[in-house]
Amino acid sequence: MSQLSLKRLEKSFNEARIIKGIDLDVSEGEFVVFVGPSGCGKSTLLRMIAGLEDVSQGEIEIGGRVVNDLPPVQRGIAMVFQSYALYPHMSVYENIAFPLRVEKLPQPEVDKRVQAAAKVLQLESRLQHRPGQLSGGQRQRVAIGRAIVRQPKIFLFDEPLSNLDAALRSEMRIELMELHKRLGSTMIYVTHDQIEAMTMADKIVVLNAGEISQVGSPLDLYHKPDNLFVAGFIGSPKMNFINGKARAANGTTVTVDLGALGTIELPRTSTDIAGQDVTVGIRPEHLSLNGGQFTIDTTPNIVEHLGIHTIIYSTLPGGEPFTGLFEGNPDLEDGKPVRVGFDAAQAHLFDTRGLAIY
Amino acid sequence: MTSTRSATLFAFALLAPALIYILTIVAYPLVDTIVLSFTNASLRQDYDFVGWANYQRIFGAGNFTEVIIRTFIWTFFSVSTKMVIGMLGAVLLNAAIPGQALFRILTMPPWIVPMAIGIYMWAWMYNGQFGMISGLLENFGITNGPIAWLAYGNTAFWATIVTDVWIGVPMVTIYFLAAMQSIPRDLHEAAWTDGAGRFYRFRRITVPLMVPAIITMSLLSLIATFNSFDIIWILTQGGPSGSTTTMIIDTYKTAIGSRKYGEGAARAVVISLFVTAFCIVYFRAVRKLQQGEAK
Repeated sequence: MSQLSLKRLEKSFNEARIIKGIDLDVSEGEFVVFVGPSGCGKSTLLRMIAGLEDVSQGEIEIGGRVVNDLPPVQRGIAMVFQSYALYPHMSVYENIAFPLRVEKLPQPEVDKRVQAAAKVLQLESRLQHRPGQLSGGQRQRVAIGRAIVRQPKIFLFDEPLSNLDAALRSEMRIELMELHKRLGSTMIYVTHDQIEAMTMADKIVVLNAGEISQVGSPLDLYHKPDNLFVAGFIGSPKMNFINGKARAANGTTVTVDLGALGTIELPRTSTDIAGQDVTVGIRPEHLSLNGGQFTIDTTPNIVEHLGIHTIIYSTLPGGEPFTGLFEGNPDLEDGKPVRVGFDAAQAHLFDTRGLAIY
Repeated sequence: MTSTRSATLFAFALLAPALIYILTIVAYPLVDTIVLSFTNASLRQDYDFVGWANYQRIFGAGNFTEVIIRTFIWTFFSVSTKMVIGMLGAVLLNAAIPGQALFRILTMPPWIVPMAIGIYMWAWMYNGQFGMISGLLENFGITNGPIAWLAYGNTAFWATIVTDVWIGVPMVTIYFLAAMQSIPRDLHEAAWTDGAGRFYRFRRITVPLMVPAIITMSLLSLIATFNSFDIIWILTQGGPSGSTTTMIIDTYKTAIGSRKYGEGAARAVVISLFVTAFCIVYFRAVRKLQQGEAK
């Protein structure tokens, strides 16, 4: 049974539709990540689940109960805010204890829960400090501690790591994943960072302009994106897109004319695509310098040597930007032509509407 | 060496206009008042130094001590009422209600209307025969006959406070509103998701986070109210029977009314000492608050 169900959920601010009919089921214990570009509605959706935004249409069910009209505290959720939202005038102890004070729990119970949370989050030595005396990572932990003590059914995280520097972010990412394992709670996590989404999620919900573009496991989204948006959003560097025209489709292969680059045959069962404008997608990391079924001659404008791998940036004859990622330190230079290749099986194909063809 | 010296001179040259300005309009009158407070200066051309006689007289006679106590009581009630009403006003203006902008504008008139006009308006409202307050109370059957609020010591004392509060509240309200709006919305939302109701949030989040604003405003208001002259002078001139005579009114009456410049100057010096003490408390508080924020 799903712990959280969103049914035809909509949100409008005046005339603007921000969330356009979302259906989603989240199972107990799942780590679900809402990911999408700025303004796609992911934070609004999270705030609707939290009860901080009204629902314009549709239903939110938590544990089988419709919670549309319930205040946040009665929904069994706890939220961790992007800004941490710590009370600067209270000690770490009182910050964590805040929800328990609201509940008017007896002091021994408050102390027990705060100490337990502090232990989990390694904040025991910081309990008497003020938030202003803590590092970014510690503040984040206090915010999580305040959520933990409430023992919620669902944790909601609104871009909790976006205020941290890169090193601390990856550290906290691991801590959060460990916390999820330890608590076994359902967690819904909003981020615009697809690395966070890929590394942390059991299930990723890709949002675009208030709609779900695709729901799936990180590897599903990576290997089988449903559309151009997901294909471009998931993966770093992003997937290369080459415009072409489907010349023939015989039920086993689709032949795509890529203009000056030549013709490529992709294994697809679709037959009604012949004659359509299509897009061929190939991930930069699927390109090889040792040839392949299809090769492209290009001249890098910029070469980035990152030690572990090398990235080239160039432009194709059709004007599309083209990126290649290769392991190690191959002999690549700005302005020096290079031949890259890939196998047809690695390529993606999208129709005129941007939908994937498998 | 030479370059250091010319840099110092240049710095003084830059400061000179401000220094001359301050020395002329602040330092000179202050020193002159202090000097005058040790003389028996009056309308006579010449005067003699009398040492501490003026100070002994104002503190020895008993009258001035009474004035000091009255000034503190007047200031205390005025400032504390302004703070309470200002805070309530800020809470109401901060609430998401229809017509919020209009209500914010309506807060301003007491501040915008020229002070003397506002005070005269209150003088008429307090009038026993024509005044609105007396008339309304009589119409509603709360009083039996007209009350001339400024004619009796007790009522005049509170009437001057009410007018001072009316004039002072808008600034306090707007200042508190600004402080309230600077509290991040996230804090309230986080507390709300944790089940904290409005009053609980106000008590545990809004008020503690507004402490710096409350301290700052209280001290600034204290200094301004302690020195408040226009309201009492226009409404009662310190009467009846001195019941609204505060230190500043007493000083004016002594120095300008009775032409006892030396004695008046001594009173002015005492006022300056009190205000200086308030200023020291204010600046210390501000420094402490800034240090607290830096932590």
